[in-house]
Amino acid sequence: MEAQETCSYMTHGAVMPFCKGCGHSNILKKLNDAMASLKLDPEDVCLVTDIGCIGLADALFDKVHTVHTTHGRSTGFATGLAVADKVLASRKMKVVVLIGDGGSMIGLLHIVNAALMNVDVTVIIANNFLFGMTGGQQSSLTPEHFVTLTTPFGSMNPSLDICRIADASKGGFIARKIATDKDLTDVMAKAISFDGFSLVEVLELCTEHGTKRNDLKGGMLAQMAEHEGHELGIIKENSLRKEFSRKYESDVQSHTGEIKQPAFIEQESLHNLTKAAGIIISGSAGERVQSSAAMLCEAAVRCGLNTTQKNDNPVTQGSGFSLSEVILSPDEINYTGVSRASYVIISSEAGLKELKAQNIFKRIDNDTVIITDESIELSNNGYNVISLPLRKACGADKATLGAVDYAIRMYGLFPHEVFKKVIEKKFGQYETIFKKEFLTFWF
Amino acid sequence: MQTLQKALRSGNQMVAEGAIKAGCKFFAGYPITPASGVYKGMIDLLPQNAGIAISSPDEISALAYCVGASMRGYKSMTATSGPGWALMIETVQYALITETPVVICVVQRLGPCTGGATQGGQGDILITEFATSGGYTIPVLYPSTAKECFRLTAEAFNWAEKYRTPVVLLSDKEIGMTTESLDYSGLGDLKTFDRKTISKTDPDFKNWKMYGFDSPDMIAKFAPVGGDIKVTATGSAHNALGYLKKNDTETISTLLHLEEKITSHKNEMVLVNEDLQDNANTLIISFGITARTMKDAVKTARKNRINVSALTIYSMFPVPEEKIINAASDCKRVVIPEENINGQYRKIIKPLLKDKEVIGINKAGSMITPEEILERII
Repeated sequence: MEAQETCSYMTHGAVMPFCKGCGHSNILKKLNDAMASLKLDPEDVCLVTDIGCIGLADALFDKVHTVHTTHGRSTGFATGLAVADKVLASRKMKVVVLIGDGGSMIGLLHIVNAALMNVDVTVIIANNFLFGMTGGQQSSLTPEHFVTLTTPFGSMNPSLDICRIADASKGGFIARKIATDKDLTDVMAKAISFDGFSLVEVLELCTEHGTKRNDLKGGMLAQMAEHEGHELGIIKENSLRKEFSRKYESDVQSHTGEIKQPAFIEQESLHNLTKAAGIIISGSAGERVQSSAAMLCEAAVRCGLNTTQKNDNPVTQGSGFSLSEVILSPDEINYTGVSRASYVIISSEAGLKELKAQNIFKRIDNDTVIITDESIELSNNGYNVISLPLRKACGADKATLGAVDYAIRMYGLFPHEVFKKVIEKKFGQYETIFKKEFLTFWF
Repeated sequence: MQTLQKALRSGNQMVAEGAIKAGCKFFAGYPITPASGVYKGMIDLLPQNAGIAISSPDEISALAYCVGASMRGYKSMTATSGPGWALMIETVQYALITETPVVICVVQRLGPCTGGATQGGQGDILITEFATSGGYTIPVLYPSTAKECFRLTAEAFNWAEKYRTPVVLLSDKEIGMTTESLDYSGLGDLKTFDRKTISKTDPDFKNWKMYGFDSPDMIAKFAPVGGDIKVTATGSAHNALGYLKKNDTETISTLLHLEEKITSHKNEMVLVNEDLQDNANTLIISFGITARTMKDAVKTARKNRINVSALTIYSMFPVPEEKIINAASDCKRVVIPEENINGQYRKIIKPLLKDKEVIGINKAGSMITPEEILERII
């Protein structure tokens, strides 16, 4: 038996479903030969085919795994397959994508990212300069002046040099060949055996839509490429970059165990609440509003309370307002909004503005304790306002923290000692957290 | 004192922990508020749990990577919000037609379009369920607390594996990004289910086909790409062997089986919490963040000696029809609060509530309050 035959991955006696003279038949036969020359175990090969005429290939290969995907996304599915195989499984699968020129543009980012990741995927682009299956429409790889169904006077755009895109995406093996090239089998074999991302663009003619509208012969493909400024042959072949799974091993897996989950929070004291307390904390982004609320919650849990912390901020993370609604309760907490605030902390003008914008004053009554920075002017509606030099005494970045600290001390929700320990864990000794004035200002 | 294992966790973090517990080994993520916490959680947790989490250049890639990894045999998940889900709709259909298990966590925010990234919403109920051409059922689970995020994420994986289907775990900003105290000792034991796989040495292999079935409820055993059985998968209509075919009887029945296999198991896919009272005029039906609000409203109503029933729905789709009909049977009115403008789930379940007065409470841009529900309880 011929060695080649024992290694064929194609269905015995498969009839090519393509038009007479179409380059696809040649590409697929040579792909079969390329895989045979590498003696790949069929179980370790997956052909991932895109939409379009070239995508019909999956039905022709009955010995290997075939995954026929959505349009343009073949390289995306192939990336998942290759990563899972290399990192989680046998580490030996060869994944080959077959995609047309149309698919390569709609799915360009999948190709770019596969190249950047350097996954062990080979992308073969069957480039016949147009969308064949749908009637011969222009694609992004149609050369300038080339006539298609939708460019009856010739394409206005030049064609994309996808090999240069692959190069710019740091792909390691890049070639542009012509379907009739004698060494196409060898080049495809090189691409498949390349340990990392490889791309082979194969130029060919669509005999149904391409040659009928343009004065073209097979021999002119090289000339066309040259005219578009597209290099032919093996453009790049270097293995300087590690294949993805080996890079993952050295860059990520070697750090296993370094990221620790936060430890459980031990109860160390008792709280003084008989019912839920709602606390609204509003200030400026970047001034530890939400992290002060989180420390309040941690201390509350240390005293046996249940907590929720519902945060709000604009889409930007470091500018504008920052707001937390905290509920501390001896009971289970359901609704996470504060319906009626027991305490409101306003540490900056941006915080006040947001409280007004959200109509939060409707949730404040005369029993609500409002702790504000002295710079903030609240109209006197009978509110119980405590105005403190928070920003001066604590600094802008700890004004909110100072206000929370003050509230815990003054209103005895739970022992202040517990909160003190929580913030000391983060900022060091209590006496050094705030400016000196802080301790003398109001105690 | 009882040994508690307390921690402060967000819903998003608990989705990640639930996924790990369920045996998820692959995650691909693209940043989007309010779902990014799941992404970060998986990046931190997966490598330490014999898995891998990677970044993707867009949401289409994220789901395509997950489907590829699942085809290779590994439990996979991604997480996104409304705008990202819109991009995933073609790929989720690919998972559905190729019967590839995968979990997509959709953390809802205010729509339409990019809407409000940091505002909550419950407006993606219909777009998650009716994402397929042809209207095939995508199972949808919807937790309302961080603790339920843990449990239902694991359940989402179980369903995906058992029924070989994509499953959506619906969440929302107020669950995903709100941090709450949580007792790990109360999380309970979770059962996890792994897809049934097949190889050539399996005695069933002789009669096995990629998508074959003898009865509506049968789910074909899964053959991984890279295994000793050749996999043939396609996003196009195909016969039981997986080959693209047009209009033959086997192909059409293979398509219809995608729906039958879910509906014939729908009685095993019922997850609700019934808090029913005798002589209640009103039944409230809710889910997600609003189910918590409902609980507070119910508590206050009962304190005021008003009888009221409440039904929390976790398994949104397939719709737990019998539970809904049963819960409403003795009530005159059914109130359905949901944070969207037109009562998306109300539209779905209204036909089940014949002879009942069905009232929606709807809102956009902020949470429905307990008072707003209380007003409707008589």
